[in-house]
Amino acid sequence: MNFSDLWIVNELKRTLLVDDRYMMYVNGFINTLKITGGALIVGLIIGIIIAAIRTSYDKNKETLQLKGGIGYGILSIVNWICKVYLTVIRGTPVVVQLMIMYFVVFASSSNGVLVGIVAFGINSAAYVAEIFRAGIMSVDQGQFEAGRSIGFNYFQTMRYIIIPQMFKAVLPTLLNEFIALLKETSVAGYVGVIELTKTGNIIGGRIYEYFIPLGIVAIIYLVTVLILTALVGKVERRLRKSER
Amino acid sequence: MNANCLIDVKGLKKYYKGEEVKALDGIDLEIDQGEVVVIIGPSGSGKSTMLRSLNLLEIPTAGSIIFDGEDLANPKIDINKHRQKMGMVFQHFNLFPNMNVLKNLTIAPIKLLGKKKEEAEAYAMEMLERVDLADRADAYPSQLSGGQKQRVAIVRALCMDPEVMLFDEPTSALDPEMVGEVLEVMKKLAKRGMTMVVVTHEMGFAREVATRVVFMDGGKVLEQGTPEQVFDHPQDPRLQDFLSKVL
Ligand SMILES: Nc1ncnc2c1ncn2[C@@H]1O[C@H](COP(=O)(O)OP(=O)(O)OP(=O)(O)O)[C@@H](O)[C@H]1O
Ligand SMILES: [Mg+2]
Repeated sequence: MNFSDLWIVNELKRTLLVDDRYMMYVNGFINTLKITGGALIVGLIIGIIIAAIRTSYDKNKETLQLKGGIGYGILSIVNWICKVYLTVIRGTPVVVQLMIMYFVVFASSSNGVLVGIVAFGINSAAYVAEIFRAGIMSVDQGQFEAGRSIGFNYFQTMRYIIIPQMFKAVLPTLLNEFIALLKETSVAGYVGVIELTKTGNIIGGRIYEYFIPLGIVAIIYLVTVLILTALVGKVERRLRKSER
Repeated sequence: MNANCLIDVKGLKKYYKGEEVKALDGIDLEIDQGEVVVIIGPSGSGKSTMLRSLNLLEIPTAGSIIFDGEDLANPKIDINKHRQKMGMVFQHFNLFPNMNVLKNLTIAPIKLLGKKKEEAEAYAMEMLERVDLADRADAYPSQLSGGQKQRVAIVRALCMDPEVMLFDEPTSALDPEMVGEVLEVMKKLAKRGMTMVVVTHEMGFAREVATRVVFMDGGKVLEQGTPEQVFDHPQDPRLQDFLSKVL
């Protein structure tokens, strides 16, 4: 029997080589990475801002209330807005958020990747914000008091003392959040973005056979996630070492 | 208020949960330059609250704390400036675990006093020398014993050149064999004329080093005087009762 007559070899040829289809996977994967990477940056920036607002509200409301003036009023309104944002984003499916972004908010734009970055970024920010907030809360209150008692103001204490310690504590959780984000972007096809999952779907449609194309897609995700997971493990071990 | 007065506390009150818990119930206390004031009293009497109110880690419900001519209890003043001049030492050290000893000692002088790194480090090393820890400058807090940690914490506060040092049970979290080395450092500090306010259960230290002993109970100062007056001729029945338990 000829090797090239094997069913599997034939199928792989059809899904990968004919019409240079492997390039479709490459491009799809690149789009997946673009959305993930972009959303990661957007999520980090918004997440840090929200966490900063929420924790400074929690830690300063007593002082601000006593001080009088509008400081307390402004902070409590902003804090309330953040809370609403967190509730809405975490209480609705990401696909729905994505579709609202694409078909309503950015109806005039056809740049699906960009809309994906914004939608997944805003979604991820809600989770990142809570990770950071939990991280800040997990730093011993004594550290905060040590910083303030030596004369650092609230922001200096955060910047020089609390955040460096918080970052160490949350890094593994944060990396896991990004792994979840990578997989979540697979629904971007709903708004016409040809990312990795959509690519498998399209090729399946062309060759009337879905097992191999989607199998390849799954393997690419799996390998990427395994690599990232190994990275998280490495980071965790290094952090544990520096604890001692 | 006499000319030597450094901190003048008047009518200080701190309530929790509305008025349910009166942690401080009207404290009047003058602390003069160079004094070593030791605060004693049973658990829950308000000693920590009193000490932590002095640098506003606790925000007073009422009363005033005059320091450097300003009322710290006034929310409009810049408390951070004043805190730089009030060193604080905690029961649990609260060293920054992610920084080595030298960094612990220099970060505030560099960021707050605008000292150059070399200058701050030279000063920190000089201070470390005084507590026999110059050889541990590169160590991280987790590599130090409790006694060493607390000595570093004292030096960290001293590196800001404070006008007064506040101690909240600095030896309570230490193994017994390490209490001595920390008290020794505090004694030296007192000899150099540092103004100190110390909350402690170490009655030996109070008797030997204090210029004044203050007895608190129920959020009030019930009696104060020289160590001889307080320990040998206590007047207040609650002080007598307290001493009979701890001495
Ligand atoms: N955050 C708080 N909320 C409510 N009550 C508090 C709070 N902090 C302190 N208290 C109460 O205030 C009182 C005084 O507490 P404080 O810690 O000053 O006592 P202490 O004299 O330092 O006691 P100890 O010797 O046990 O350290 C106690 O009854 C305590 O329960
Ligand atoms: Mg106490």
